[in-house]
Amino acid sequence: MTDPRIRNIVIVGGGTAGWMAAAAFAKVLDAGCSIRLVESEEIGTVGVGEGTVPHLKLFNNLLGIDDVEFVRNTQGTFKLGVQFNDWGRLGDSYVHGFGTIGHDVGLLPFHQYWIKARQAGKADEIGAYSLNTVAAPRGRFMPSASDAPPGSPLANVAYAYHFDAGRYARFLRGYAEQRGVRRTEGKVAQTVLRAADGFVEAIVLESGERIEGELFIDCSGFRGLLIEQALHTGYLDFSHWLPCDRALAVACEKVGPPTPYTRSSARPAGWQWRIPLQHRTGNGYVYSSAHVSDDEAATTLLGHLDGAPMGEPRLLRFTTGVRRQAWSRNVVALGLAGGFLEPLESTSIYMIQSGITRLLNLFPRHDFSPVLTERYNAQSRFEYEHIRDFLILHYHATERDDTPFWNQCRMMSIPPPLADNIRLFRDSGRFFRDGEEMFATPSWVQVMLGQRIAPKGYHPLVDQMPDAELAGFMASVSHVVASCVEVMPAHQAFIDRCCTAPAMVA
Amino acid sequence: MNDPRIRRIVIVGGGTAGWLAAALLAQALGPQVQIQLVESAEIGTVGVGEATIPQIRHINRFLGIDEDAMLRFAHGTYKLGVQLNDFTRLGDSYLHAFGDLGLPLGLTPFHHYWLRAVQERGHADTPDLWAYSLNAAAAAENRFAPLEKIPDSPLGGLRYAYHFDASRYAQYLRERIAPGSVQRTEGKVVDARLREGDGFIESLQLDSGELVEGDFFIDCSGFRGLLIEGALNTGYENWQQWLPCDRALAVGSAPGGPMRPYTQASARTAGWQWRIPLRHRTGNGHVYCSRFISDDEAAAQLLANLETEALGDPRPLRFVTGMRKLAWNRNCLALGLAAGFMEPLESTSIHLVQSGVSRLLAMFPDRRCDSALVDEYNRQTRFEYEHVRDFLILHYKATERTDTPFWQQCGAMEVPPSLARRVELFRRTAMVFREGDELFAETGWVQVLLGQRIAPQRHHPLADALTDAQLDGFLADIRTLIGRAKNTLPPHHKFVARAGGSLAA
Repeated sequence: MTDPRIRNIVIVGGGTAGWMAAAAFAKVLDAGCSIRLVESEEIGTVGVGEGTVPHLKLFNNLLGIDDVEFVRNTQGTFKLGVQFNDWGRLGDSYVHGFGTIGHDVGLLPFHQYWIKARQAGKADEIGAYSLNTVAAPRGRFMPSASDAPPGSPLANVAYAYHFDAGRYARFLRGYAEQRGVRRTEGKVAQTVLRAADGFVEAIVLESGERIEGELFIDCSGFRGLLIEQALHTGYLDFSHWLPCDRALAVACEKVGPPTPYTRSSARPAGWQWRIPLQHRTGNGYVYSSAHVSDDEAATTLLGHLDGAPMGEPRLLRFTTGVRRQAWSRNVVALGLAGGFLEPLESTSIYMIQSGITRLLNLFPRHDFSPVLTERYNAQSRFEYEHIRDFLILHYHATERDDTPFWNQCRMMSIPPPLADNIRLFRDSGRFFRDGEEMFATPSWVQVMLGQRIAPKGYHPLVDQMPDAELAGFMASVSHVVASCVEVMPAHQAFIDRCCTAPAMVA
Repeated sequence: MNDPRIRRIVIVGGGTAGWLAAALLAQALGPQVQIQLVESAEIGTVGVGEATIPQIRHINRFLGIDEDAMLRFAHGTYKLGVQLNDFTRLGDSYLHAFGDLGLPLGLTPFHHYWLRAVQERGHADTPDLWAYSLNAAAAAENRFAPLEKIPDSPLGGLRYAYHFDASRYAQYLRERIAPGSVQRTEGKVVDARLREGDGFIESLQLDSGELVEGDFFIDCSGFRGLLIEGALNTGYENWQQWLPCDRALAVGSAPGGPMRPYTQASARTAGWQWRIPLRHRTGNGHVYCSRFISDDEAAAQLLANLETEALGDPRPLRFVTGMRKLAWNRNCLALGLAAGFMEPLESTSIHLVQSGVSRLLAMFPDRRCDSALVDEYNRQTRFEYEHVRDFLILHYKATERTDTPFWQQCGAMEVPPSLARRVELFRRTAMVFREGDELFAETGWVQVLLGQRIAPQRHHPLADALTDAQLDGFLADIRTLIGRAKNTLPPHHKFVARAGGSLAA
């Protein structure tokens, strides 16, 4: 009898997605399973300075990589959230911080009490009630303190990283090769499909080498070498809701200590990111080519750097959307090959990670049960659509009317579930997370408030707390948060102490 | 401007649903909302011996209930799971135990490791799945005492619920409610007055002539749905095509025999029979499909399968499985049987009341009852009900019995696509994924799927990452830890006697 197990995995593409997949498979699968990765040095990867969400820690934990090792090897810095400037109105600024807001009382989330207090003029902005949103603008950072009393905001600090994704890929390459992953340099010239069922049987490299496999992971980026070019899976276009289709990326010299947050500033036809690394700062302008020319976009980008640019901006083109099936036959697409959502909330690496986890959960055998594939695709679609809706929220909930781009975003019709969420929040500040969607209640609440969706009312149970007590409650939470931030070190000081990257040969 | 806040809630019906709702709302809302409960002593409640699931313990904590005192009052005992007999084949028996099964490793649930051992070595050489459940090990020897976790190990302890007399539980709740926070009115509702324009309920007319006004109404009037259906004509979705039983006969029997820390559900020729051990008697009932068996025959089967003598004549109940099209319609929320009915095969009735109240509190409206809240409530309720429904259908559908027309029909029926997909996924890959917040977790599904003889073709490929020796060691360690922990537990009846004080040991 033939072995029903998958014994032979081929990964096509060696960017962040390819090496994350290789490293995870090498760690989790048994040693008898061969893993090969094909990449070409000629094909550049998209890796610019990259922001993440806190989940990446879990992935690193799975691999047994600790924080310090990771940050040192990737010129990394720490991230408490994203600062959004000029989104709701020109001049607006708010932070979408990771972690919780205040602390919940009984059945109700903190922000319900805050709404009432705020309406009565007895509370600060919502940002005053969580550690991350207070610490970030002040440039403070530390991870959870093991000696903090339970319940203290310092006992559970939620954070992510900024890092150089190219270096992360290189680091993971070392990790994966040490564990038996074989890397082959080369470009794929041809994909051979099995006559009977159209499964991918092998890829042929330009060198003529033929590489057979049972399971293929397509990490070849936007073009989707296997998933699209060979299997013609199709792509579902979201650009009527998320109209940006280009980005210009450039690094600039570091000026001053790194901020412990990503900055996202709305521009006339899109938005600009700023991601601080240890040695330089990553920048990019994501824009809609229907509303602004590349030249003009480059001028805007370069006009808003805080240090001298290091080289020319690089142009990237994309179509926001998702592959109709991320898993088709024996090909699973990860990273950009699986779909693209702009990095406004730093979800790209998260989606790679969750694609890998999902594949491991639903890991197939030789016969590739369609039930596994269907489930994978359903879960993946669910995840994409919910993140998509969260991104659309940033564009749609705006009062800006200063450019045609923002007018279009404000006026567009949005997916009905998002419209319902906005309506419910506007009515009485309520939000209900849908199943396991990625962004939880505090994220939605911060962004809805930050984008000026003002709740008309609040949860009726809030009235159980007497008004005097409510004011005291608000004051005590903001006081605790402020005192905690006082004891946090400066972000740069923390990095200096713990995880300075080794000096590099210039 | 009028104050839009809800100031008066009227609950109609004083069974378990009504009093549970009253207690939870009074505790959560405090004095800002006045609660009035209308019930009639003339109208009987359905309360027979009732089994629960572990989530009920959250209610008790929320209400500050002393578990021992409550169980003493409601003649309660402890429950570690449900034993299901004769469902798949005559002679079959398995436990749906609460709590953990073994220990997952990394991303891979435990049962895949067990399954790998079975597939590589055969059933005869591998202890069954329940050797890895402390609940099952304790249940098999009628042992019980609370145990948070197995000491010096990563394994969880016992997860338990209760068996009790539901009407005594309702009474206990009623007596514990802070004085004055719920006003009880004796009377029968004879009419509901709807507001011109939007059809919201404005007031209820009682048989005494009294008019009861409210901002919000909770219908706990049972099957008939006095408000939700009688007044608002909300409509009912019928699930009898999947869950065909439509009657039950319930009877108590004298105490005697072992005090089992689990509910028993035994398949009969056209339905199934429950046995629920209480302190002072045993609750029994036969749930059956009237198209396949007469009431007399059903009664005869019930009585023939009692362990001790019957206390009185069996009481008949009729029902239609299904759910109200909208549990929340305008300013009326239905709870309990008024919201829907699913047979008590997995003891979900009280839980559905509890989760309905929590959902209401999360979405607590003002007097306008914004349709965004109402829609969200109804969406979540439907999700919850349909997933429980699928779980119940599985017990009937996954049968190999062909000895009666009833079981032939169950085996042949077409099931909802959601369930068909799950069963197919399990059959081919042994994988089970809990969907969103559905009530039953992976371990519940795995036990019932395996217990009903749905044999997976293979285990999860990641379970192969252990060597043979590692696998054997891992499984043996868990069995040892469970065996040891089980031996420290006292007999269930002794624990009840000690904690309860009312039962002669």
